[in-house]
Amino acid sequence: MIAELLLILLTAVLINNPVLYYFLGLCPYLGVSNKVDMAFGMGMAVTFVMTVAASLTWVINNLIIFYLNTGYGIDLGFLRYIIFIFVIAGTVQLVEMFLRKFFPSLYDRFGIFLPLITTNCVILGCCLWIDVKGYNLVAGQEGVAVSWKFLQALLFGIGNGLGFTLAICLMAGIRERLNFSDVPRDFRGVGITLIVAAILAMAFMGFSGIGG
Amino acid sequence: MIIVVTILLAAALMLGLALLFTITLGVAKVRLHVDVDPRIERIEQILPGANCGGCGAAGCASFARAVVEGKLPTGGCPVGGADVSALIADIMGVEFSAGHPLRPVVRCQARQEDRLGRAEYNSIGTCDEANVVGGLQACTYGCLGFGDCFDACRYDAITMIDGLPVIDYEKCTNCGACSKACPRNIIARVPFSSETMYAVACSNRDPGRAMKNICKVGCIACGACAKAAGELFEVKANLAELNYDAYTQADPSPAAEKCPTKVIIPFGSNGKCP
Repeated sequence: MIAELLLILLTAVLINNPVLYYFLGLCPYLGVSNKVDMAFGMGMAVTFVMTVAASLTWVINNLIIFYLNTGYGIDLGFLRYIIFIFVIAGTVQLVEMFLRKFFPSLYDRFGIFLPLITTNCVILGCCLWIDVKGYNLVAGQEGVAVSWKFLQALLFGIGNGLGFTLAICLMAGIRERLNFSDVPRDFRGVGITLIVAAILAMAFMGFSGIGG
Repeated sequence: MIIVVTILLAAALMLGLALLFTITLGVAKVRLHVDVDPRIERIEQILPGANCGGCGAAGCASFARAVVEGKLPTGGCPVGGADVSALIADIMGVEFSAGHPLRPVVRCQARQEDRLGRAEYNSIGTCDEANVVGGLQACTYGCLGFGDCFDACRYDAITMIDGLPVIDYEKCTNCGACSKACPRNIIARVPFSSETMYAVACSNRDPGRAMKNICKVGCIACGACAKAAGELFEVKANLAELNYDAYTQADPSPAAEKCPTKVIIPFGSNGKCP
């Protein structure tokens, strides 16, 4: 039981890293990975948003939409995307207000990248993957504890956030050292960052296949 | 029938979510409120938004905050110019008097063929380094031509032609980055009281006798300009200097005619930059 949960976490962090395997969330990844402390802050913000968004959307998806579907035959699946984006936007607003009050320097340094988490594909991707990976309630699967599925979805959300944090902190560390290297003039900035990201992705490919 | 129920339930679900988030965010806004001076946002809106750093602050938002806190002057934005400064002064409730914009002027007109070279140079290729290492050309005051100013300019306003920077005054935002980048302080920031301004395009303070070997187009400190337009020109330490405070009262063109090495040249949008 615990092993299964740990496997979900490990898969999300290392094997199916949202940035380096699925190439989602590249905007903050390239934009905020200049310094390690900023990268860590962004990673934590994304983790928080992802966890809350994943849980909330799981609840709505599986306790309201699914219940209405199987219990009453009313299919509200068309609302899924709208509700997901709605919840994510609201959560990001909360994070923004929180950061502005308690970490104003971090808020200033993030600038536009904080509200950009809202439209970021990695958050929506995590929410939608929960359906794809089967951490939701499916009709015909009786006897499955609701809380067990919720735990899976929650850990998936946390794992994706931690995976994003890992990837962005790695990139920040590399970029801080790249500052002292002789990068060709036309590659400086985003160019060399993308190339480094590609090499990192290739390195992380070594994990694929573990866990099936 | 079932369609009606579906629609009603969909509406109810969205409404329920909307209410939930309205209440949550409303409470959060009150509990997590941060007091911000509204003037900061008003100033931020009228700034050009180039985030060039020419004002000395780290971007337009920082500049707006610094102005409201009184740390930077209202006329501090070189890109916005007099119009923006007047508006900022209006928001802050102070009087504003327009000054002249400080525009960059390259005080050297020596192309690669005009300069006397000395040692062969095989190093990194930046002006900063070449200035410290020294010895690659005879003129120790003049432009080295490796383009530190060109690298510093974020607006593509500088082009390097034959080892000399040429400024495109249409693209230049007067941010001052080129002036800061030049290790020999060749790019000066001059108050432009008109579209085109004359300047002495030489920074060399070696005596006149030595100049004819060092550079064909440098200032030999003969004093002809001072004789032609005395209020404007003065020869100090082997170099002619233009007094920009007296510029509006006098005309430098007779001095430019008399100059034997033609080192007093016009700069600006209508001038023929070297």
